[in-house]
Amino acid sequence: MSDNNTFSPGLQDKIKKELTRYETKRTAILPVLHAIQDECGWVEEKHIEALNSTYGLDRVQVKEVLTFYKAYYQKKPRKHPIQVCDNIVCCMMGANEVIERIEGHIKHLEEKHGDNAAFEVIGVPCLGVCDQAPAIIVNKDRHHKVTVDNVDQILEKYSSLK
Amino acid sequence: MGNTTDKVKILTEFEGMPNSRALATYQSKGGYSALKKAFAMPSSQIIEEVKQSGLRGRGGAGFPTGLKWSFVPQNIAGPRYLICNNDEGEPGTFKDRYIAELSPHMLVEGMIIAAKAIGATKGYIYTRYEFFDEIRWLETAIKEAYAAGFLGKNILGSGFDFDLDHYTGAGAYICGEETGLISSLEGKKGQPKLKPPFPAVSGYLGKPTVVNNTETFAAVPWIINNGATAYKAIGTEKSPGTKLFSIAGAIKKPGVYELPLGYSFEKLLNEDCGGMLPGRTMKACIPGGASAPILTPEELKGLTLDYEAIAAKGSMLGSGAIMIIDDRMSMVQLMKVIADFYHHESCGQCTPCREGTGWLANIMGGIYDHEGHESDVEKMWTVAKQMGGRTICALSDAAAMPTMAITKKFGDEIREYIKRGTSA
Repeated sequence: MSDNNTFSPGLQDKIKKELTRYETKRTAILPVLHAIQDECGWVEEKHIEALNSTYGLDRVQVKEVLTFYKAYYQKKPRKHPIQVCDNIVCCMMGANEVIERIEGHIKHLEEKHGDNAAFEVIGVPCLGVCDQAPAIIVNKDRHHKVTVDNVDQILEKYSSLK
Repeated sequence: MGNTTDKVKILTEFEGMPNSRALATYQSKGGYSALKKAFAMPSSQIIEEVKQSGLRGRGGAGFPTGLKWSFVPQNIAGPRYLICNNDEGEPGTFKDRYIAELSPHMLVEGMIIAAKAIGATKGYIYTRYEFFDEIRWLETAIKEAYAAGFLGKNILGSGFDFDLDHYTGAGAYICGEETGLISSLEGKKGQPKLKPPFPAVSGYLGKPTVVNNTETFAAVPWIINNGATAYKAIGTEKSPGTKLFSIAGAIKKPGVYELPLGYSFEKLLNEDCGGMLPGRTMKACIPGGASAPILTPEELKGLTLDYEAIAAKGSMLGSGAIMIIDDRMSMVQLMKVIADFYHHESCGQCTPCREGTGWLANIMGGIYDHEGHESDVEKMWTVAKQMGGRTICALSDAAAMPTMAITKKFGDEIREYIKRGTSA
């Protein structure tokens, strides 16, 4: 069987490389899922199917990893997922106000553009940058010392939707 | 005693240096010379030196590092593994991030020396998913070390082989627990495993494995270069050496500070960190990450930052994550954040943890939403009391300890909030 329709040639190479990189094929499950998500934006059922049929990765083993770890998206996220930390220090330094502001911004975009609103908020545990609190991650960019005054500017860099 | 609590730069030697992460920079100040020295030593002597130094695990548990290494049985055939726990996830902790940012080669060199000591031929650095830049820096350091002949086959002509790879986690706090990390590295759910057997005997893929924290490994080259006696002369008798403290909250200069253990808390806060932000006063302090019991300003008076002194106050040094809670933070809010966090991160294996963290989050949610009853404070304490020491790993304890401390020390504030029935 071929996975030509599921993964791009580049991604196929990456997957093959990961599968032989570690002591066991199973160890490669997390890195393989990272590779898929990096390229496709999320991990869907057809990916699990192809990993099984083409590369012999056990469906159940893949699925249990996919559902256990929060970094994997099991449904397609909007173009720019925003991970916001609201743990102890971020909370003390104003994260809740920032989150409210972001949610307001998204709500406004949703009213005008529906599901094309580009952003969505995803909760995340402490990001490990408490000295720069509050912190958010947009796509894979970490932004520090976010405030209700500068968050709009940060988001505008990612989408011109008004 | 002869111990010094003056500042020494061991882990932060490269602070402020341009291109501090580069191999050339690291070598310009003697980087990888400890490796050469260690290769001329028998493995048992490396372990002995680390044992004598009194270095304790810097991830939170404070277990003696040399002792951990000595648990690896030398008579079991097959591979042995060495793992760096760089899954820094304890809320408030951001000190391992600093090592990746400042001098990743210090970690790599420490790992190679440790590998030689325990006879490991393969190692992994396991980093949390959200450290995107840090992962890149670590991978670059590994590549540079390979190119320079410090990793791979027959390192520096010693006949010793050691391969090091990087592995990226996927957003699960529980993988910071060493057996949870091992499960994750095996491509499974990050569920901790019952001990014994300890990883030193049966770890990654059932083989002898040593897992140490990033900061622990990074201290090893200095110890080998300068000797156990020199390391022991820093800090206190029972807590030797320096420790990275990550301090944050409403203070003027939050950040990572390398301090000799036994350093004064007040000096750190008021001198090094410049004190509180204008208009804020300290209401409490969490001295060792979210799981450490909270301390009141009264308890913080005269406190020194070492394992024993903080334990004597009923809390713990943990990962060295100090969070200064100021007067604007409501204890209801704080307790809610902590309860939600542990509920969210419980792996669900053990009933006391899965159900207990759920109860705490539910009761706290009710209180927060003004649907609480005054007796809820007592109820939370009682639930928490039953969560400790009954589970495979310490996550349940980690949720219970701060809950018991907050409900005991700040119960009145929470009850007041409940009685008032309006927003804090």
